[in-house]
Amino acid sequence: MIGQAIADGILTGAIIALGAIGVSFTLQIMRFANFAHSELLTWGAYLALVFVAFAGPGTPTGPFSFGWQLIAAAALAALLTGLVAWAVDYLVFRNLRRRGAHPLTMVFAAFGAALVMRNMVVLIWGHGSHYYTRELQMSVELLPGVRMLPDQIFILALALAVVVCLHGFLTYSRTGMAMRAMAESPPLAQVCGVEVDAVVRWTWILSGALAALAGVFAGLTPQLHPEIGFNLLLALFAAAILGGTGSLVGAVIGGLLVGLAENLSLLFISAGYKTAMPFLVLLLVLLVRPQGLFGEKA
Amino acid sequence: MHVTIRIAAALASGLLAFGEAAAQAACPVKIGGVLPLTGSMAPITKKIAQSAELAIEHINQGGGVKGCPVQFILRDDQGQPTVGVDAAKYLVEVERVPAFTGTISSGVTGPIIASVTAPSKVVQITCCSTASPFTLDGRSGGYFFRTIPTSKTQAYATASETTKRGLKKTAIIYVNTDFGTDMLRFYKAAVGKLGGEVAIEVPYNDNQPSYRAEVSKALAAKPESLLLIGFPKDAVTIVREWLSLGGTKNIALNNSMRTMDFVNGVGAKFVEDFFGMDNAQVAGPHVDAFNKAFEDKFKTDSKGPGVHTQYDALMVMALAMNIAKDLSGPSIKDAVRRVHVAGGAPVGTGPAEYKKALELIRAGKPIKYFGATGPIEFDANGDVTGPALVWKIKDGQIVTDRVITIEEMQALFKRIEN
Amino acid sequence: MLTGVFSYLVFFACIVLILGILTLGLNLQWGFTGLFNAGIVGFYAIGAYTHAILTAAPQPQYLGNFGLPWLVGIVAAMAATAFAAWLIGLLTIRLRGDYLAIATFGIAVSIQLVALNWEPLTGGSQGLSRIPKPLAGVFDTPLSFNLWFLCLLAALVAAVYAALERILRSPWGRVLKAIREDETAAVALGKSARGFRLEAFVLGSTLMGLAGALYVSFIGFVSPFDFLPILTFQVWAMLIAGGSGNNRGALIGALLVWTIWSASGIAVTKLVPPSHAAQGAAIQVILIGLLLILVLLYRPRGLIGEAAVVSRHADD
Repeated sequence: MIGQAIADGILTGAIIALGAIGVSFTLQIMRFANFAHSELLTWGAYLALVFVAFAGPGTPTGPFSFGWQLIAAAALAALLTGLVAWAVDYLVFRNLRRRGAHPLTMVFAAFGAALVMRNMVVLIWGHGSHYYTRELQMSVELLPGVRMLPDQIFILALALAVVVCLHGFLTYSRTGMAMRAMAESPPLAQVCGVEVDAVVRWTWILSGALAALAGVFAGLTPQLHPEIGFNLLLALFAAAILGGTGSLVGAVIGGLLVGLAENLSLLFISAGYKTAMPFLVLLLVLLVRPQGLFGEKA
Repeated sequence: MHVTIRIAAALASGLLAFGEAAAQAACPVKIGGVLPLTGSMAPITKKIAQSAELAIEHINQGGGVKGCPVQFILRDDQGQPTVGVDAAKYLVEVERVPAFTGTISSGVTGPIIASVTAPSKVVQITCCSTASPFTLDGRSGGYFFRTIPTSKTQAYATASETTKRGLKKTAIIYVNTDFGTDMLRFYKAAVGKLGGEVAIEVPYNDNQPSYRAEVSKALAAKPESLLLIGFPKDAVTIVREWLSLGGTKNIALNNSMRTMDFVNGVGAKFVEDFFGMDNAQVAGPHVDAFNKAFEDKFKTDSKGPGVHTQYDALMVMALAMNIAKDLSGPSIKDAVRRVHVAGGAPVGTGPAEYKKALELIRAGKPIKYFGATGPIEFDANGDVTGPALVWKIKDGQIVTDRVITIEEMQALFKRIEN
Repeated sequence: MLTGVFSYLVFFACIVLILGILTLGLNLQWGFTGLFNAGIVGFYAIGAYTHAILTAAPQPQYLGNFGLPWLVGIVAAMAATAFAAWLIGLLTIRLRGDYLAIATFGIAVSIQLVALNWEPLTGGSQGLSRIPKPLAGVFDTPLSFNLWFLCLLAALVAAVYAALERILRSPWGRVLKAIREDETAAVALGKSARGFRLEAFVLGSTLMGLAGALYVSFIGFVSPFDFLPILTFQVWAMLIAGGSGNNRGALIGALLVWTIWSASGIAVTKLVPPSHAAQGAAIQVILIGLLLILVLLYRPRGLIGEAAVVSRHADD
């Protein structure tokens, strides 16, 4: 039982982690809680659906339920969603930032943007569910009592690869270092010659791309619907905050912790309380470390 | 301050205008509706709203109410109680509807009964709200009816079927709402008396991205069968995760899953031999007529929760309003049960039948309405009982396996409750 | 008939006043103290359920339902919410702005889940019914009861408003403002910022509990579905639209936002035929979202903004 719960937790956690990275960086670099982030997940998933509709998910390759076409669709969707994220910033948030708007105003603008984005999905694709593939996979028993779908193992591997690449990018590339500098201290970064606008642009594009991947993975297991991002929103924020905003490692660990908390808790308490678990973990962490596990002390 | 005054003035004049327009003519007769057009229930509500539209069309084609055409005013409750209550109050007070239909979620129906229906004494007929206490504890003063049996019927019938098939060690995964907990309670009571066995009960909160945790918990009890109580969207996720984690294919479902959305969502080849329960749409010419009319108008099948019951709710309402001596609440309330009188002339669905019914009513003759869900007869509490049916999925189609007649249901009730 | 419109407006006004009390409570926490409370619905729920559990007619399957008088229910609701807010505040007050928001949000979600799952006490998903309305025996028609309740609410809101204005001009209120404007300076003068914040948090939450109890005794029924996050969002919208840091703005915001919410629903029925009602409703939600964005872009201080500028440190 425990083994299965841990496996499930890691899987859910991986998806949450990918989404939480974007939230974490927006929180730290732009200092506002972007409640429209979850809609980037939804849009990413649906954009991939559009590509899949043209090319098909592909005949199942190997043990997976999809072929390379889905991966290509996901990559394209990631690119597009990054641009969508930047566009939303351009249209809505940038103006507010320029006027020195209060962070709360930004939060509300984000809410409004989220409502619009979500209902646009409804208008275009309807309320019902969509699917990338109609195949149903059988799980394989990795260890006694622990079963996972090949698709899910793939998602884990891909998520890990993405995180490693991102870590490399942040550590070794100029833009990445500029982002980290901005995350630590915007005024200091500017003094050092960091171009704020470029960093902001890259933050949005990366956030959008990661969110799109998370959306596709969520939609793969097993269906897409307009609320897919929204249903993950609070978990994303809980993960980002408990990991410590502005930290890549923090967001990933945060995501995993949230996923594990949800799944392990069912061993002890009724499943009716499952959705409160991310917050309980968050509260516990914040009690002990108010800045999050890997966050900078304020 | 100026802004405030301007806003208040605009509000007042706007509402006065509505009020004036609503006040004058006796025609058209307005019927209200409150449904969750947006929100998490929206996918299910779409067809229900279409069914309502069809009913109104038939009513108007067949002669309307008391010689006047009927105007249907449908408001969205967004799944939020305060919005639903506001909408219902608006319909009753400003639009002066003599009766209204609504809603689906009992979290919204409950406050509406408590703050609008009962105090204002207006008839409310719901297609879909199954929480049993609403009719059983007298809170509505007799003004609340439903054309859908409470979960008791379905739960007892499900228990009867699972024990008949010899299903042992059943895991129950149920949606954590009044509907789910109601069904669970009655199912457990029935199964206890009929000799089945519940291995584990796992509630789930809806609208989650994944249910692996709940499924894993249920599987840990090593069940030999699964009873899934919920709604199609999340049910698809749960069943897929259940099957891929190696869960048994011995799966029983509730009525909401009796839709191609569910079959196609999981995948036709994976749901072979799943079975479920529903309130019986007794096969017959009137049910077929409704199904055909629905398919012709909307180019989609008429299967789905609430579609048939919503049609009947409105037809019953319109017939009762014609039978009633006037359009006051108490008169309509008393007339509702006269829609189905022993020995009355049978009238069915569709505009021609409705027209026939009006002629009979005008001549003072009793009628017996056979609706899209079969014979509609309200008991003393405002509930309908009815036969149940067992459906199953065969070759990607939903077919009826067998019908549990009213007599068998009544015998079942006796067996379980004594 | 005009009496119908009048009757509806009375009912509408009652809802607006109850939402107004919620907004006043939030204004004390956010407008005057700078606390980003995203768990409004949780305190509303505590007040509502306390009142329901104490006053509802006894039923054998429930632990509570003591059938106590209305006034006892109201006072107890406020006390219970104050106590809960004190505990929650102790845990969360020192968190920075958006963290406090997520923490309080999570607490509200947990409270709602307890209401949903702890059936013997709260009625679970079925909720609690037969909650007596005050003086329902005397005012037995809907219009007369709603009118009486409206007068009751108006008196209560006036009292709360007057009390809040008084408190905020008192020495305590001045310290609060000082802390919000420049915490370091205030602390240097020997004021415990945390203590004051906690007091404001508890007081604001108590008002929310009061609103919950009033709501429940007005409608006569309570269920966990009354306490979903959308309500938190609506109350925040009310405060922002009306102008935070301003009690009059809070009340006006409540009126404005609820009117928009309700009137847009009416507009959909008038403009869109029932066959397209679902799309009309989706458009209604989009419009509300757009409206919100527009208000924020062009009148960020709300309808009646506070004159003073809020310090950037308000969410630390």
